[in-house]
Amino acid sequence: MLKQKHKHMKKIICFTIIVISIVACTEKIDIELNDTYTRLVVEAYITDEAKNHIVKLTKTSDYFYNKPAPVVEGAKITIADGQNILNLTETQPGIYKTEKIAGEIGKTYTLNIELLEEINGHKNFTAMDKLMPVGIIDSIGIEYIDSWEVWEIRLYANEPPTSDFYMFNWMKNNILITDTIDEVNVSDDKFFNGSYSNGVGVGWFEEEREDENLHPGDTVTLIMSTITEEYADFVWEIQAETGYQSPLFSSPQANVSSNISNGALGYFAAYPKRYSSTVVGNQVLKK
Amino acid sequence: MKNIFTLIIILIFSFQITKSYGNTDDNKKKYSISGHIKDKYTGEDLLGATIFIKELKSGTVTNLYGFYSISLLPGNYQVNYSYIGYKTLEKKIDLTKNITVNIELESQLKLLEEVVIKGEAVNANVSKAEMSVSKMDVKTIKQIPALMGEVDIIKAIQLLPGVQTAAEGSSGFSVRGGSIDQNLILLDEAVVYNPAHLMGFFSIFNNDAIKDVKLFKGDIPAAYGGRLSSLLDVRMKDGNMKNFSGTGGIGTISSRLTLEGPLKKDKASYIVSGRRTYVDIFLGLSNDEDLKNNKLYFYDINAKVNYSLNENNRFYASFYYGKDVFKGNNFKMGWGNETETLRWNHLFSKKLFSNFTLIRSVFDYSLGVPEGEANSFIWEAALRDHSLKADFNWYPNTENTIKFGLTSTFHNFKPGSARGLGEESFFTEYTVSKNYALESGIYLSNEQKIGTKLTLKYGLRFSVFNNIGKGTVYNFDEQFVVIDSTVYPSGDFFNTYTGLEPRLGINYLLNDESSIKASYTRTYQYIHLASNSTAGTPLDIWLPSSPNIKPQIGDQVAIGYFRNLRNNTIETSVEAYYKFNKNAIDFKDHADLLLNKELEGDFRFGKAWSYGIEFLVKLHFEKLDGWVSYTLSKAEREIPEINSGKSYLSPYDKPNDIAIVLNYQLNERMSFGLNWVYMTGSPVTFPTGRFEYGNIIAPVYSDRNSYRLKDFHRLDLSFILKGKIKPNRKWRGEWNLSVYNAYGRKNPWSINFEQETNNPNKTFAEMTYLFGIVPSITYNFRF
Repeated sequence: MLKQKHKHMKKIICFTIIVISIVACTEKIDIELNDTYTRLVVEAYITDEAKNHIVKLTKTSDYFYNKPAPVVEGAKITIADGQNILNLTETQPGIYKTEKIAGEIGKTYTLNIELLEEINGHKNFTAMDKLMPVGIIDSIGIEYIDSWEVWEIRLYANEPPTSDFYMFNWMKNNILITDTIDEVNVSDDKFFNGSYSNGVGVGWFEEEREDENLHPGDTVTLIMSTITEEYADFVWEIQAETGYQSPLFSSPQANVSSNISNGALGYFAAYPKRYSSTVVGNQVLKK
Repeated sequence: MKNIFTLIIILIFSFQITKSYGNTDDNKKKYSISGHIKDKYTGEDLLGATIFIKELKSGTVTNLYGFYSISLLPGNYQVNYSYIGYKTLEKKIDLTKNITVNIELESQLKLLEEVVIKGEAVNANVSKAEMSVSKMDVKTIKQIPALMGEVDIIKAIQLLPGVQTAAEGSSGFSVRGGSIDQNLILLDEAVVYNPAHLMGFFSIFNNDAIKDVKLFKGDIPAAYGGRLSSLLDVRMKDGNMKNFSGTGGIGTISSRLTLEGPLKKDKASYIVSGRRTYVDIFLGLSNDEDLKNNKLYFYDINAKVNYSLNENNRFYASFYYGKDVFKGNNFKMGWGNETETLRWNHLFSKKLFSNFTLIRSVFDYSLGVPEGEANSFIWEAALRDHSLKADFNWYPNTENTIKFGLTSTFHNFKPGSARGLGEESFFTEYTVSKNYALESGIYLSNEQKIGTKLTLKYGLRFSVFNNIGKGTVYNFDEQFVVIDSTVYPSGDFFNTYTGLEPRLGINYLLNDESSIKASYTRTYQYIHLASNSTAGTPLDIWLPSSPNIKPQIGDQVAIGYFRNLRNNTIETSVEAYYKFNKNAIDFKDHADLLLNKELEGDFRFGKAWSYGIEFLVKLHFEKLDGWVSYTLSKAEREIPEINSGKSYLSPYDKPNDIAIVLNYQLNERMSFGLNWVYMTGSPVTFPTGRFEYGNIIAPVYSDRNSYRLKDFHRLDLSFILKGKIKPNRKWRGEWNLSVYNAYGRKNPWSINFEQETNNPNKTFAEMTYLFGIVPSITYNFRF
């Protein structure tokens, strides 16, 4: 419901702004911003799918840099699970890949990075994350919600009595819709711990976006992952800091947390992936 | 330090009182002149009216219930009764015994013209011992141009020196750098926890039902406590004792109607006032099909009755209820305040006035998805207060006015509970456990005149705060992580805080037109608002002090020079203040304040301080009145876990703040109003760098609040045209045309940093501004 809570908050904010918007406006402005020292940015994942897992190394830049983030080349990267050590190879500048391998549920993975040149006084960086166990999806359903102008993916699954954090991604015809981190739905179970999910909405296709509109025959796939509390916080924070800010509803701006050592930004996340698909029938079409 | 203060006060007290008594014993017995001062045409009590004894060049003022008492040696006196905007009444009194003199003053303005309800003896600002106090009469407030023509007490207060608007359009205000939860807002003595309607664009106060507004920015009387920064004391009208009458208005977004009249002439009266907005109408204009079906409105009701049983006993019952409602197709939300006050004024003797009060105050909200869905739920939160108060005013002689009393409030906090609705819902219940607390205070103060030049005000408040079971307290380690929790049984007083709060003031009259004043105030705040939005939202959670949250303690010193010019038609003042706040509260980065059982773990504690200087020039010319104010100030905080432990600017730090508020009476029917405000832009945090993760660009920040928004300035205008006065018609109408933001200044409300849709590598800053030029028209009437 946290996402629900946020969704509702968004609705309220939206509504308030619309009420005001009879007179309110936005416009682009020029602002001069200071710059700050450069930090290493790590984007690394390991999942329980057999594939080449990716680690991306970039650097922070000025806010109005307006180019793709500068990459960090020539690093030595390993991922260890306590028994085995995987060496990663740089396949493109700044992109490092493992061999084809599946992560194992329950294992804690350690990422080690050794840079060619120091960034912010450090050459070595490390991070750890645990690949959490995940439940089984019984099925998913699709429903059009008139007032939000979205198609909602509804989940039917058992929620275990432990305190869990979930990440939901979704696809339309095998194309990932949640291709940016701000679209992903991350939720804790504090409002439904241990109960049957009974068709709760976990993903949304927005009508206003052409590529998300659903038609009969489309295949919809939900990807459910359990994640650590720390990664859930990270995603919520990055979503908050990149979302709409206003004096009415926003907290003070603050830096997004990270699990990488030595002042680097980003996250090394380990999580499982469970898929469930359904084909869109006639009944879910917008009337 | 504490003990020294206590000692000093007790000493001064005992010394002075014995001294006064000594005098009495030495001389002949004194007799009292006492009574009430009222408006001749409405019977409304006049608060703060002056009683001046010519022979002694001394006098007194009426209290909050229009009562006065003065004790003098037997003899012949010439007594002047005066109140600004009213004809002064002279009375010769031959004092040979205690006598009651009730006075009805006649408004100087023509009958049935706008009645001036608030005022002071012309040099009151110079001669009174109180400082850092702003009073506004409802007539002035009504003339101030306002957004959508909705004239508003809180928006008017934000134009005073030392008061900062939290954000444009917000009902939140910061007094001398304090937080928005540090203001004690009282409506007929009941605490109003959230004074905002419609996300703050309007306040809950309906002018037609209000008699008197007083803001204490410091120098808070010992009778009040519980908040650090200010006291906003709003008093409702009692209702016309003489005739049935009505007032009302039809505006761009709301309409209102007030009816009042005697139940029994000069004995009992009532007033009922209602207001409702029709913002919904605008939704119909929206292109969004969905929005058209939404409902959004607020309404409020004020009602009051009072009954004078006899000279010595009078009863009042007041009631306020207001709600905001927002209903969508599958979403609803509502919030509001409710207050009830029962009061009994009783005269134990002509020298001892007392008031006993019973108060109930509620703030609650709920939101949710109606039954029938998997995500159907309801989320409710509430805060309920029940208070008892006893206040005494004792007038032993002309030199001393002693006030004492006690108060106790039982707080019932329900910070939030969410649960599924209906069979389809999969939500289980999640409840943040309730809290109970008892907040009590006892006070004693004296205002003492020494000679004709010097007035001292000294008092002491002793406050006690108890957390009462049933309650659950989480225990945190040094990293604010929960270790375990302790459950306290029902009725267990499991935690106690106490505070000694000295209040001191001094006024030295240099001459009839100028004075120097100084004050020191210590205040304790035991309940805190868990909100980290700048402007304030309706989803307020108030949290009591507890083993994890210490009370906030504030100290303020202020000095001021007051001078009136040109026969008191120009009032000027300069006040400088310094404030220091211990156990100041802010919240950890990315705090989750809503529906969080471990909310206390998100609080962070440190210190806050602010200082400034306030200049004010008030004009009371025959045709032109208003004020010009300028404040130069600074407000900072330092909290170890925030901003790497470095001090940072409070979100309300606006170093330069100017307000010009003027009203020009062109002729009997026409007047112009103008206000212009200028302030330094609010402190904000902007990114100093960026990084890529998950295919988006996220900001990197350096120091908190190290940038500022563009400076804010705005001009509002109004024009009031009164209908012709026809001698045999009771109906009086007037048109009020106003323009908000007359020169269309685009004042930034928020700045967002976004990625271009077509070129995601490109980031840009975008400003949201709320209002262009907003004209409005309101028709007001009276009968």
